[in-house]
Amino acid sequence: MKLALLLLLLPLSVLAEPAQVIRATPLQKEPATDAARVAELAENTPVDAGERSGGWIRVRTQAGAEGWVKLLALRYGGPGAARRGDSGLAQAFSAARTGSSGTQVTTGVRGLEAEQIAAARPNLAELNRMQSYAASRDASAAFADKGRLRRQSVEYPK
Amino acid sequence: MRALLLALAALAATPAQAQFNLRNLDINRVLDTAKNVGKAVTDISEPDEIAIGRDMAARLLGAAPLAADAELQRYVNQVGRWLASQTERPDLPWHFGVLEAPQLNAFAVPGGTIFVTRGLVQRMRSEAELAGVLAHEIAHVLRKHHLKAIQKGAQASLAGEALNQALRDQRSPARDKLAALGTEMYTRGLDRGDELEADRLGVVIAARAGYDSYGLPGVLQTLQAMNAEDSALALMFKTHPSPADRLGALAEKMQPTLDAYAAQPQLRERFAAETRAR
Repeated sequence: MKLALLLLLLPLSVLAEPAQVIRATPLQKEPATDAARVAELAENTPVDAGERSGGWIRVRTQAGAEGWVKLLALRYGGPGAARRGDSGLAQAFSAARTGSSGTQVTTGVRGLEAEQIAAARPNLAELNRMQSYAASRDASAAFADKGRLRRQSVEYPK
Repeated sequence: MRALLLALAALAATPAQAQFNLRNLDINRVLDTAKNVGKAVTDISEPDEIAIGRDMAARLLGAAPLAADAELQRYVNQVGRWLASQTERPDLPWHFGVLEAPQLNAFAVPGGTIFVTRGLVQRMRSEAELAGVLAHEIAHVLRKHHLKAIQKGAQASLAGEALNQALRDQRSPARDKLAALGTEMYTRGLDRGDELEADRLGVVIAARAGYDSYGLPGVLQTLQAMNAEDSALALMFKTHPSPADRLGALAEKMQPTLDAYAAQPQLRERFAAETRAR
């Protein structure tokens, strides 16, 4: 019991997320390209993934080797683990908007599937409401400053 | 197009009077009309782009209303407006809205309106991830991807002049049809190349705004780890390349940019505070 409690209290940075590497990739000792190589991981190697540092994720292999791999070399879910079932959200909502007769109820929240989009009539009241929430350029700059966001000069790719 | 055909028919029918007809037909106007059918895309003025976008945004809001959370709506507008300020079209009337829908999706409307569903916001972990998604949609507006697709699609059902009329004149009888066609675009999706371009530009725009550049890849990884059969993903997956393909394309083309700005703020706490259920 105590052990279970302890496990629950461990920080989320433990290596707990099942994942796999999608191409042959080096396992580095530190999150840097010039760090020492712990191992070479073959394509589709399953790993347990943990914390992120820049473009790197800390992982452990099933053989117990620990280190860092490039974030984009990793796919979460592992082999076959992507079948996690339906979120159920969309059905819950679509049930909510369908009455017992199967006809659409106009109150409440509707889903946003192709049929709703194709059949939509303009809603000018919502359009006006949306426009009332607009932020000015100056206000958004102050907001960015509060978050310590510093503007950078970055070129578009060719 | 019809005018050109009539003109050609007139010329062919009366060879003896060709000289006379040519003078009276105003051949320049015929040629201009013919040219317009092909290059109409580039000719839509900014006010026209904004006006047609307004019609389309009103329709999308008819499909799903805004989330009833004014603070959330203002927050998303601050993030989006800051991102848009880092682009070549900083002074469009930028508007951002969270749609009350459980599906995971986001939409860019010509002229500067961006929507993201509450379902997608709920799956995000930081302001950098929100910024990544908004920046991708902003890129669609910058490059006029939807406007071009609408014109291409509409040419099949609206003849050249009627299409030009509908684009330029809000009171044109074809205007309603055009807005409906434009909105329907969101059920079919854009070209794959447009989506991948928006991913690349989105990474750049988020980095310019000072965000952790891995925001958009982070959301794509979340989508990729979900069950592809999940009904909340159906429309997004139908209208976009797979998350795995998009991540692969980013790794191939954008790795240096991603790594250079990976240490910028993610703003997880501010995001959690601003998007909590109220």
